[in-house]
Amino acid sequence: MIKLTLKDLKLFVTDIKAVLLTFMLPIILVTLFTIGFGGISGGGKSNPIKLLVSDQDSTEITQNIITKLDSLKELDIEQISLVDAKKAIKEGKRMAVLTFYEGCTDSIENGNDVPMELFYDESREAEIGLLQQALISNLMGMIGQQKIKNNIFKFIDEKNANLSPAILSNIHKQVEEQFFGAQSKGENPVTQGMNLKMTKLFADEEPNWALIQAVAGVSVMMLLFSVAAMGATLLEEKEEGTLKRLLYSPINPLEILFGKLLYTFIIALIQLFVLFVFAWLAFDLEIFSNLPALIILLIATAFACSSFGIFLASICKSRKQVESLSTIIILVMSAIGGSMMPFFLMPPFMKKMAMFSVNHWSIQGMYDIFYRHLPTINIVYKSLILLSIGIVISLIAVNRFKKHILKVE
Amino acid sequence: MIKIKNLYKSYGKIQALKGIDITINKGEFYGLLGPNGAGKTTIINILSTILKPDKGDVFINGFDLKIDSKKCKNYIGIVPQEIALYDDLSAYENLMFWGKLYKIKSSILSIRVNELLDLMGLEKRKHHKIKTFSGGMKRRINIACALLHSPEVLLMDEPTVGVDPQSRNFIFEALQKLHKNGTTIIYTTHYMEEVEKLCDKISIIDYGKIIAQGSINDLKKLSKISESIIIHSDSEFENKKDIISNSIKNKFDINDNFIKFYSNNINTDLSKIINKLNTIDINITNIELKKTNLESLFLELTGRKLHD
Repeated sequence: MIKLTLKDLKLFVTDIKAVLLTFMLPIILVTLFTIGFGGISGGGKSNPIKLLVSDQDSTEITQNIITKLDSLKELDIEQISLVDAKKAIKEGKRMAVLTFYEGCTDSIENGNDVPMELFYDESREAEIGLLQQALISNLMGMIGQQKIKNNIFKFIDEKNANLSPAILSNIHKQVEEQFFGAQSKGENPVTQGMNLKMTKLFADEEPNWALIQAVAGVSVMMLLFSVAAMGATLLEEKEEGTLKRLLYSPINPLEILFGKLLYTFIIALIQLFVLFVFAWLAFDLEIFSNLPALIILLIATAFACSSFGIFLASICKSRKQVESLSTIIILVMSAIGGSMMPFFLMPPFMKKMAMFSVNHWSIQGMYDIFYRHLPTINIVYKSLILLSIGIVISLIAVNRFKKHILKVE
Repeated sequence: MIKIKNLYKSYGKIQALKGIDITINKGEFYGLLGPNGAGKTTIINILSTILKPDKGDVFINGFDLKIDSKKCKNYIGIVPQEIALYDDLSAYENLMFWGKLYKIKSSILSIRVNELLDLMGLEKRKHHKIKTFSGGMKRRINIACALLHSPEVLLMDEPTVGVDPQSRNFIFEALQKLHKNGTTIIYTTHYMEEVEKLCDKISIIDYGKIIAQGSINDLKKLSKISESIIIHSDSEFENKKDIISNSIKNKFDINDNFIKFYSNNINTDLSKIINKLNTIDINITNIELKKTNLESLFLELTGRKLHD
């Protein structure tokens, strides 16, 4: 028994691919997920949340509150008009806008409900949760203090109407120093009775972002697995000898590669269409909301993924190599590209890395269509990026194909 | 038809071909005989244009392979060593697919496919998937694929490896028909009996060099070993030595109870010797024929057996 175990261990250690799959892949994925989720953990190391603020009241008090919010390490404030802010959110550039409506200051001074509202992108609920934390514990503290202070001063003024303004001012000063000095930094928030109105920006259409994430993320990831297997048929042809026979024929060797690319592209396209039709039938995904844009995006996605499949085959020496390498590359690409976790959950450096993945552009394109309802031109832009990725990796595949796969010995 | 001049090819440090010169005339059945690794497949790969030689020239029908490789491709059909077929397609579908690569019209191709299936004795299995075929049947379809565009030259790289006797006979018959119809055939093998049966001329290759070239008879003449007929008997030959030498012209050696006759043509001498021995009352118990063949010639030329 021991001999058998030792023999298997020896075989395992000599199989580099098996070792990589067993140890390296989980390490890579654990690292990626840890970094990814670390970005939303709310820990001190995470970057500040970018929050848009639209100050329609434009008073000293509201500006004072905005300045205080900006000084918080959790928030990075950008002031903007409400129209532009909503546009930026719809385009997926920002996640929320805090709006101070006219009359905010009056309401604070009179102790009434403060007319303010937070418009947000529902698809970024996890981030919104963090934002709420930061806002409730700071903004409400600031406003709450102001309201309580105003109520106390009002009460003192009413009960001591016979005192001179100078004395009253002195009393106000002493009350502020004794009772609000420590709280002025927002360390002891007074939030009772304070409600921040939260409004989903896409409330009219009520798109289901989780459905979009699931359909887009899974379809692209599974497509990559499919095309990797299809690309591997190129190596199967070499191993079985049919590639040699194809080379005997009068066709141009590159026709073999492009033939495979076309085959992979057609199957990929059919797979995507089937998945989206299924999502429409089973989950009411509105595939007809912008059908031309969807078709453009699916064609670009299918092309980029097919090129990836051919590229993978061109850098491997055998089908077995494709199997192991594709698992690693696809899982990593899907993790950083947004198939496994939404793009907005990622820390900034992962977001930058995502730009190099097919998953990212395709998934974001689908968000643009189904969630943000952006015009077709936005989808064309992302589709062009996908096509460019496809062309670049196809060219690399052609080069590798000429140098390695066509090599006859 | 085919001229190979001073052909060299190396794979890294291994020199696969070291100055090969071969001339093959139109309609010849030409054998390339040699052990595994001799360089036979390298020659076929170069002739089929998928491998470039390091040095040397190849001309097919007057066209330089380096310059007019596309034209050369149209003249040749290649039967690779591997069974290069799609297992999940039927024999007919496979042949149609490979034929279409030569831009043959579907209607003409379909007729040609049926002809070839008939030639290979597989017309009844045409719609069966290749994966259901025996090794020999697959080999026959493998050969048919190379004939779809009616090539003038057929290159065959060990086409009978792992073939059952029935399929082997089908293949031999088909090749003889093609040869009769004027197809030039280049046939690589390490089975000397195949070469002896099929080929007009041969080149014996070893370590990338041609060590002998010519017709079977030319090569046999090269051999210092003559053919012999050994007759065993329960009676002694020694006391009949004079009678034998008077009645049979062939030289002979006598041992205790067998006699060895040397022959230049074993087929004609055998019956004469048996008749004469019968007339002088020698009771033959066993006959051994020691033929000079390519195996023995290869052994003589290289000091190694062909299948080493």
